[in-house]
Amino acid sequence: MIPRDPQERDAIAGEYVLGTLDEERAGEIRHALARDPELRAAVTFWEKKLHPLSVLADPADPPPGTWTAIAARISPAATRAPSRRSAIARWQWATGGFAAIAAALLLYVVAAPRAPLQPSSSTTVAVLQSSQTRSAGWVALLGPSGLRLSELTRQTPPAMHAYELWSIAPHTTRPVPLGVIPATGEMRVAVLPEGVGAGATLAISIEPPGGSPTGLPTGPIVYTGVLRAS
Amino acid sequence: MEQPASLSSPDVLVEAVARGSEPALRRLYALESARLYGIALRIVRRPDIAAEVLQDAFVQIWRNAGSFAPERGAAAAWLTGIVRFRALDALRGQGREIPSGDSALGDVAVEPDVLAKLDADADAAALRRCLGQLEENQRSSVMLAFVDGFSHADIAKRLSAPLGTVKSWVRRGLIALKACLSP
Repeated sequence: MIPRDPQERDAIAGEYVLGTLDEERAGEIRHALARDPELRAAVTFWEKKLHPLSVLADPADPPPGTWTAIAARISPAATRAPSRRSAIARWQWATGGFAAIAAALLLYVVAAPRAPLQPSSSTTVAVLQSSQTRSAGWVALLGPSGLRLSELTRQTPPAMHAYELWSIAPHTTRPVPLGVIPATGEMRVAVLPEGVGAGATLAISIEPPGGSPTGLPTGPIVYTGVLRAS
Repeated sequence: MEQPASLSSPDVLVEAVARGSEPALRRLYALESARLYGIALRIVRRPDIAAEVLQDAFVQIWRNAGSFAPERGAAAAWLTGIVRFRALDALRGQGREIPSGDSALGDVAVEPDVLAKLDADADAAALRRCLGQLEENQRSSVMLAFVDGFSHADIAKRLSAPLGTVKSWVRRGLIALKACLSP
């Protein structure tokens, strides 16, 4: 419950920004923020007013390669340029991994007995990699009959949570929900919102069991990948 | 279209990032990464984890810039908020223990003339004045939580006080701050 008393709300919003709430309470606030403009204003108040304190942490140069890793994670173009001299070894490995998985996947599509998607020129593939480890966890195939998502290795969300699939259309930043991924690790989305096609980013976040209550990811994004024509 | 001459403040850059400009994100990184990495490092205390926090934060900035409601001067605070939340999450993942043997943790936040280190601008001046009016333990608790990412338990350990007392210091400190900072 988010308190109604203004002073209590301000105090809890302040504790949320400080980070002193326990995880359950912080989660409540995070969920309430999307539909409670007053609470949002209270949180923004504290972020803005306490911000001057952040100068007490001395600036430091991040390790080299950090930007390259960020660029690789956000840019479809970067993932198509494994020859870039600045690309870090781990990323080159990941790019090689993508090609190998995509190739293996076409075999899978041909071999799978009930596969409704044909490996034609219209098939578009995304390999979703872990935001933490870069390992490939899921594969998504976009074809004439919609989008099919399959786990590559067994994927289990944290207890009392579910994975939810999102699409971010090219040149936009707003994720559109595609649905909660069943515990089987397999999902098909027949009717797709606009913007799901080559170049779109697919992302999987951790959400409450029924999916995000807000229409936007409320938990961490744990897998991402870009749809590409194969 | 890029407009390099005007792309120099976090506010302008975040707006451009919201429109999907990767060069703007790169400029934002050039401008803000050292500050934000410093904030993350202070909280998680490990360079490798701080670098991951920074990576995740910039990917999140790229994805969420569209939902950021622009208010002049607020972008830097928004970026700080994202990095702090990411860093606190990473710290919780580690069990959120103050590593033993590092007794200097939190020293900056509790040194007597710490408020003099804040910037000279109006926002910082107001915060300095209002923090200065708090009871010392309330002020230290708020600052240890914000700057070092300390939990109630961490603060209790650092200030050698019972947990319940620390909880009330933080809460009462915030209520007094709110009254002082509100117009």
